[in-house]
Amino acid sequence: MNKLLFLLLVLFNFQVNAQIFLGNKGNISFFSETPLENISAVNKNVSAVFDASTNDLVFQLKITDFIFPNALMQEHFNENYLESDIYPNSTFLGKVNLDNKDKAIVEGDLTMHGISNNIIASGDFFQDQNTVTILAEFSVKLDEFSIKIPTIVMYKIAEKINIKVNIKLKRVE
Amino acid sequence: MRKIVFLLFSFFSFILNAQENLLNMLSNDDIVYANYLFKGTKIVNGQSVELQSKDILQFNIQHRFGPLNSGAYNLYGLDFSQVRLSLEYGLQDWLAIGIGRSSSIKIVDANSKIRLKRQVVDGFPLTMVINSAIYLKQFSSSSLIDVNKQFSDNLSFTHQILFARKFTRDLTLQLTPTFIHYNLVEIQNERNDKLSIGLGGRQKLSKRISLNAEFFYQLNEIRNNNVISLGFDIETGGHVFQLHLSNSPHMIDSEFVTKTFGDLLKGDIFFGFNISRVFTLNK
Repeated sequence: MNKLLFLLLVLFNFQVNAQIFLGNKGNISFFSETPLENISAVNKNVSAVFDASTNDLVFQLKITDFIFPNALMQEHFNENYLESDIYPNSTFLGKVNLDNKDKAIVEGDLTMHGISNNIIASGDFFQDQNTVTILAEFSVKLDEFSIKIPTIVMYKIAEKINIKVNIKLKRVE
Repeated sequence: MRKIVFLLFSFFSFILNAQENLLNMLSNDDIVYANYLFKGTKIVNGQSVELQSKDILQFNIQHRFGPLNSGAYNLYGLDFSQVRLSLEYGLQDWLAIGIGRSSSIKIVDANSKIRLKRQVVDGFPLTMVINSAIYLKQFSSSSLIDVNKQFSDNLSFTHQILFARKFTRDLTLQLTPTFIHYNLVEIQNERNDKLSIGLGGRQKLSKRISLNAEFFYQLNEIRNNNVISLGFDIETGGHVFQLHLSNSPHMIDSEFVTKTFGDLLKGDIFFGFNISRVFTLNK
């Protein structure tokens, strides 16, 4: 009974103290570097929400919003690699760990190409009364998301892709 | 103990739900367009509903060889070849222009493509594009004096509406009603206005190879044959190769739609290929 009460209290507590920060014009860019070719793309329509009461952090983006300098690359990215017609979105559901003063650690599940993987990213996390700013970098391996690179372009696409996140969230009442 | 486990479990599931709830706050019900109906801006010879993206310049080198039935002496047509060099450029994502020149028939062409509508997933069923082109048959100044021709006599025009639908991720079909006007026709009593209906499609065979087919049926032109073309699009890293067979040796709409005299069954088959390379001009 006590425990149930505790649970209810937690629930209630969450409801009351929810401090929601929301943003939808964030940047996520990625880089693939090989001796033959450097490939980069940027998505400027990333949305994210942060709950300061639970430190839950959630990202969502549309794969088709990634803009490449080369249109043919963008087509291959959507058609052949990420298959954005089947998997239109990528999401991240995680938690921010703010125990360390210098760097914030974010851990959670990144889903893209229909596959979820646990990732850990470190970065800067600035929070004040009305805004939250997140700057983070991490890398993913393509084969972990079953993105297959054909042999003909194997030397042009890195196995490990570096990803940069930059987003500003505003408090919502 | 059990209760604690249960409690922890429900607590964690609650956390997950909380994140799902946060995710729901982000859920966007934006319009999702069907993209990449064809790999190239042409199905085989005729235009597809694809056009160049904004600030993208594409350079095409197109080759057509002679007829397959021209014998071993001409290496089955490979001795003859004509070239069309062309540039296509995207002014806006919905507006592209192009210029080109065909070698042996000496025609300079310019066209513009305007996308009116895009196919929406679970919404509007078709992508619609208007293609308009103008052709100038080059002439020497002496011929102008001799025949007393005017400049405008060397012009012809094509107007098309392209309706395409991506039925599955591999199959796209296109219907292309085509109107072609010649300011001056070659023989007496020939119509200046010609109507044709084009049917085209592509079936992807793998992620990087697609089979394309195209058929133009003549509605009011008896002098001309219907046009049948078959081709493959092969994607490598930065290029698209297109290889095809057709009963027309020409590469521009006015010529191949209304001046195809080849008969497929008699072996008038022309082999050709296109190579394209894109350049980005916005940086």
